Amino acid sequence: MTAQMGAIDELLRHPPYATQPGEHRPLLRAAVREAMQHHCANCPPFARWYQKQGADPHAEIEDLARVPFLPVSIFKRVALESVSERDVVRVLKSSATSSQTPSRVVLDRITRDRQMRTLAVLMSALMGSTRRPFVVLDAAAAQGADVELSARVAGLRGYLMMASETHYALDAHNGELELNADKLEDLLSGLQARQLPVCLIGYTYMLYQYVVVPLARAGRRLQLPAGSMVLHFGGWKRLERQAVDRARLNAEIEKVFAMDETCVRDVYGFTEQLGIIYPDDGHGVRLAPVYSEVIVRDPVTLEPLPDGAPGLLEFITPLPHSYPGIALLLDDMGRIVSRDREHGGRYGTRFEVLGRARGSEIRGCGDTLPEQIYQVREMARAQA
Amino acid sequence: MKIFVLFDGRTRHIEPDGDPENCPLETSPDRLVNELKAGQERLRATPVDDLIGLCDAAGRAWTQPGNEVARMVGGLAIGFLPLWLRRANLETLLAQALRGDSGAIDGFVPLAPSSKRQHRAQPRGLLVHWVAGNVPLLGMISVIQGLLTKNANLVKVSRQNAGVLPYFLAALAQVRYRRPDGKEVDGTLLTDAVRAIYVDREDSAAAALSTLADVRVAWGGREAVEAIMNLPRRFGTEDIVFGPKTSFVVVGAEKLAGETEARKAATLVARDAVALGQRGCNSPHTIFVERGGALTPEAFASLLGEELGRAARQVPPDVAPQEAFQILSWRAEYDMRGQAWYSDGVRWSVFYSDEDRGLATPCYGRTLFVRPVDDVFEVAAHCSINTQTAGLALGERRLKLAEALTARGVERCPEVGQMSLYEVPWDGMYPMDRMVRWVSA
Repeated sequence: MTAQMGAIDELLRHPPYATQPGEHRPLLRAAVREAMQHHCANCPPFARWYQKQGADPHAEIEDLARVPFLPVSIFKRVALESVSERDVVRVLKSSATSSQTPSRVVLDRITRDRQMRTLAVLMSALMGSTRRPFVVLDAAAAQGADVELSARVAGLRGYLMMASETHYALDAHNGELELNADKLEDLLSGLQARQLPVCLIGYTYMLYQYVVVPLARAGRRLQLPAGSMVLHFGGWKRLERQAVDRARLNAEIEKVFAMDETCVRDVYGFTEQLGIIYPDDGHGVRLAPVYSEVIVRDPVTLEPLPDGAPGLLEFITPLPHSYPGIALLLDDMGRIVSRDREHGGRYGTRFEVLGRARGSEIRGCGDTLPEQIYQVREMARAQA
Repeated sequence: MKIFVLFDGRTRHIEPDGDPENCPLETSPDRLVNELKAGQERLRATPVDDLIGLCDAAGRAWTQPGNEVARMVGGLAIGFLPLWLRRANLETLLAQALRGDSGAIDGFVPLAPSSKRQHRAQPRGLLVHWVAGNVPLLGMISVIQGLLTKNANLVKVSRQNAGVLPYFLAALAQVRYRRPDGKEVDGTLLTDAVRAIYVDREDSAAAALSTLADVRVAWGGREAVEAIMNLPRRFGTEDIVFGPKTSFVVVGAEKLAGETEARKAATLVARDAVALGQRGCNSPHTIFVERGGALTPEAFASLLGEELGRAARQVPPDVAPQEAFQILSWRAEYDMRGQAWYSDGVRWSVFYSDEDRGLATPCYGRTLFVRPVDDVFEVAAHCSINTQTAGLALGERRLKLAEALTARGVERCPEVGQMSLYEVPWDGMYPMDRMVRWVSA
């Protein structure tokens, strides 16, 4: 380990949220610089790209917004690894919901340990340090144990380290998922009798489609133990198609679970920067922890936008060691809500996620080619 | 289903960037059609020379410095439109479509000298146009051809850019033309036979419009035009489909003998890429460059970057965030595995890799993929009915390559720099020929 590794380690020892305005930023900048130096030294394609951006990895970083950023989709296009193959302990693939190609990132022990560490402290900050029973809004069969895990399973696994016990709310019958409401009610009653606050956790669309809707349809309302939480993640794309927004989801949850609405948290995060999560405050506003920074960029000029203006979201964190996912631009739109304004004793950048960036609407006659042509192209690429 | 009337033949009810759902409602499609038919009768009674004269007057006015419409034309990168409207062009197009005699749209003419029978092109009736939102030029080109063939025209615009076509139609209504006999006619002679509408529910409206049509004219992406073609229609309804296609450029080694000549070709390629906002089916995305010249394909790509940078000084008006994201993705990829030349922001990009083959997936936003070929004739293997225009920068091999490319499905092989010009034949047909019924007496 080089002496420069200290900045990242030091950052990771910091409490998860700033208690003074901007207190963590010098350390975050130093950690990002350290990370960039590592990736430029160990990932030749990344080094080439970084140099092309006119950036010097050894230069001090004065402004994180000036750090060259990669579009997150680069991990669908180019194999980017900053460690040798023998150091790879896991390969993550994204769910590829908005494209045909999954993203692929490799994890080494250093990256994995950092991710687990930050996830643990961020989860503790969210729900307290005492472990609690988790009820996964999925079927147990969805869990895999292969080296190549889907991001869905990998992401869920990370959360489960905060579980004192794990239960699964859904049953799988011939590939179809189904809620066993009686089983869930019995489980929750048992936990309530033991006065154990529970965490219901799962993908946003699964929470709605497989839990909330069936319970509402059956006219059932289940009592959750005091202090329980519902954590959901994975985005709103599928629910948007059903015209279900946050307010409606929360209202529906309140109908089927007897609990405080503010205990429903939408957790934002993405495969390429696992370990950093951005739970909302129950109303869609999220706070960047000290381990990362969020920047909103103009989609056309790519320059940082003033606070409040919607643009493409960029996230910067020094965590990834095995792949250069340090400064990543996403195709999600968002806006900065406030910066270094105190809220519950915490400071930092607060932001909202506004959804997936819109594509071009109906095109002219130069619209995309039929799929067959792309298939030929992909085949040619594969053969090459 | 609600029908919003954006342009009623005389008045536009929407600003160029306005919301179509704020326009007046029309509850009776039949009334619309009846009004259009009345306008069409005026057209039928007017010599086509007057109709061309009105278009020509519009084309002249819309290139005048300080003219408001000219500014709009410039802003939309459709400078081709006023040129296309000029008399010389329209007379040629019409004559080509009407078997060499544009008078056939006014009355019977002797088309076959050896025959006593005479021929005439009768308007088919009501043309319903479905126009893609991203290329407003298409709507005007479609409607003008419908008018020159003396048809009634009902144009369904997309929500995106819904106000642009009504803007140009209203401007056309304002045009005046003095005939050789001194009598003046005005643009309402044309526009009384046009209505531009927007409908809030695509499914039910589409079927209703389709059954009204004598000719269905569809411009757009694959999904859109397929949906239109699958709608019910009356027996005898003609279809004119300008579906999704892609276009490319071929640069031969003979044009890479020196930097001056290569730069000239690069300038023309850049011009084609910037025209129509690279949205047209005739806009290039892939540039095949032949090895063996004094300049390598990579060196040409570098020149092309310089020239595209000059041609694309303005920020493109309609880059969606997702598109910008795609452009950034390509940039990062080519920075890592090939070569990339690009602007600050997402004004333009040129990509090159020695390993790339075949047609690139269009990325739009003035993005060009330069791909090396050992021999320009290799390009034919990548052509099909999905490829429309091949802009050629070649010497004596031009016609021979055009033969090979068109045999595989390419529709046009103009010189590079002229890809954006709308000409006939287009997509394998003379569209105005399809807008008439040929009769004899």
